[in-house]
Amino acid sequence: MVVQFEKKSMTGNDAAAYAALYAKPKVIAAYPITPQTTIIEKLSQYVDEGKLDAEFIIVESEHSALAACMGAAWSGVRTFTATSSQGLLYMAENVFWSGYGRLPIVMPVVNRCLAPGWSIYQDLQDSMAFRDAGWIQVYTKNNQEVFDSILQGFRIAEDKRIAMPYMPCLDGFVISHTTAQVNLPNAEDSFNFVGEYKDPVIEVDTENPWIFGGLVGPEKFNKDRKDLMEAMERAKKKIVDMNREFGEYFGRTYGNGLVEVYGDDVADLTIVSMGTIADETQDAVDLLKEEGLSVNELRIRTFRPFPEKDIVEFAKQNNKFLVIDRSVSFGHDGQLRIEIEAVLKRNNVDTSVEGRIMGLGGEDVPYTKIAATAKKVLKE
Amino acid sequence: MKVTQKDLLNIPRKAILKGHFACAGCGSALAFRHAIGSIADNVILVVPASCASVYQGGGKGASFNVPTINTAFAASDAVASGIQRAMKMKGKEDIKVVIWGGDGSGADIGIATEIGACDRQENILHVMYSNNVYGNTGGQRSGDTMIGAKTATTPQGNTTPRKMVPFIMMANNARYVATATVAYMEDLVTKFQKAISLEGFKFMQIDSPCPPNWRSDSADSIKIARLAVQTGIWPLFEWNRDTGKAVISRPNQKYVDKENRLPLTDWSSLQGRTKSMTKEQLQNLESDTERQWSFLKKFL
Repeated sequence: MVVQFEKKSMTGNDAAAYAALYAKPKVIAAYPITPQTTIIEKLSQYVDEGKLDAEFIIVESEHSALAACMGAAWSGVRTFTATSSQGLLYMAENVFWSGYGRLPIVMPVVNRCLAPGWSIYQDLQDSMAFRDAGWIQVYTKNNQEVFDSILQGFRIAEDKRIAMPYMPCLDGFVISHTTAQVNLPNAEDSFNFVGEYKDPVIEVDTENPWIFGGLVGPEKFNKDRKDLMEAMERAKKKIVDMNREFGEYFGRTYGNGLVEVYGDDVADLTIVSMGTIADETQDAVDLLKEEGLSVNELRIRTFRPFPEKDIVEFAKQNNKFLVIDRSVSFGHDGQLRIEIEAVLKRNNVDTSVEGRIMGLGGEDVPYTKIAATAKKVLKE
Repeated sequence: MKVTQKDLLNIPRKAILKGHFACAGCGSALAFRHAIGSIADNVILVVPASCASVYQGGGKGASFNVPTINTAFAASDAVASGIQRAMKMKGKEDIKVVIWGGDGSGADIGIATEIGACDRQENILHVMYSNNVYGNTGGQRSGDTMIGAKTATTPQGNTTPRKMVPFIMMANNARYVATATVAYMEDLVTKFQKAISLEGFKFMQIDSPCPPNWRSDSADSIKIARLAVQTGIWPLFEWNRDTGKAVISRPNQKYVDKENRLPLTDWSSLQGRTKSMTKEQLQNLESDTERQWSFLKKFL
């Protein structure tokens, strides 16, 4: 069954708010930060107007925003928040606490660079700093994918075998504040896909007291961490399944859910990137094709868990990668490049890897610039 | 409802079981036993990093017999807010959500979160048991440390006045604020019961002797706590938003008048942290005590 849509023009933040509205979270806690603000403004409006039956907690900090969602998640109800940049950093200890605590929270991060200097524009430095926090991270390319990823996110996070918080990332302004067409399903169809949060992963109960997060010895500690590692592996399959199921229901998929290929399966050069740069890369691929050059694209949609197998399989057919990072691990390199090189090496694939760091601090990365860079790399 | 000694002996369900890790003479564990024990069937406990996150024990030997969620140091009031709102959505509003933490979180690192929850009038109770130090980390100075008290980070004695957290909560329009002490347990549990019966944000501060950090004899805990009331160091009162008035609690009424108070040295001489205070430090402690009283008297 493919459901009916209404074609609507909306910003990426509106798309995020619609997805949250349709998933019917019971508790939302949020604190404003540009460029996330319009998501929570919309949701507070839905709650005030009675369109959404939820408790909206207007907290005094991001640290408390996530903490309140954690309280709600421990109580076994669906919960949602959103943040950006410094706000994500301010909630840091709770980001790790909820990740290692396996709490199924959905929290879009509207990517914005980190100070200093003050800039509200986009790069991926904020969310990339949390790649080790035990969250699923999906980097979206456009407004439609924001909506779709959030609906899928609740299903993935709340699956008992996964039980993990989910962070859909959307580039600030380029997605968050730019109006584009979104094929919006109606509320009922959307909720039918997500479903009620039944049989919660975890639920604090006065009948059966248990202690959460108390003292543990190394044995139990390691068991818990090992379980998180294994759950991340299970999450890969879940993300693929969810992408397929979503496709059957809504008629749209994003590659296999983990990675998405654009252009020919085999090419002289593969551009690898994430977020809106990956969307722009599609135009670069088309432009280069018109010029008679053989270039394709591998978009990493899911950064955590990292799609090692998919990258390796693709690299076996393609000899040269150009990885574009929009964030840096200072003292080393762009995180995406580091990780791609690592998985190729460990799987004995000899695809060569070039890396470029582009688009920091909201620097515009048009397809022409990507194409020019690709040409240079092709000549090397 | 006034709690009697007989009520104290009839704890319906033990909230803390044998084998807990609290030190001998710990005021916090004693207050926990009676206060949380009085509502053990109907409470969700939120514990920030504190002695309580340790003395609850761990794994199968854990001693807390009530549902307990441990949180990051500054997160407890926000986590409790999320739990309470979720319970509301589930139609289980009758479940009491109580934060049980020390003065490190309550007076220092978590105070913004605490005021945030107070400001939103979350229907929760924050109990701050005060041992006036970061006890769990080895006894460093907190915002709740008394003037002159030696701690691991004020080896010559603390020089700054106490942060008056109950008054901060009153100023932020809490529903109910009370101070209590383990020396007068009936009074403590009566206030605790009153607090949980009211809708909104409630705050209680409990004087909780800490033998290892106060360097006192564990057998003297109750005696020291009682002397804190009798010397005026620890004003016992409750304040209700309805009236905007503070009421001095019965065990403390006699000591409102400074003339009736015992000398401060009766209290300070029983503790290693305070017994060698200089004359000047004693004077400073006395004037800081007066500062608390003069503030409190404005609400009588």
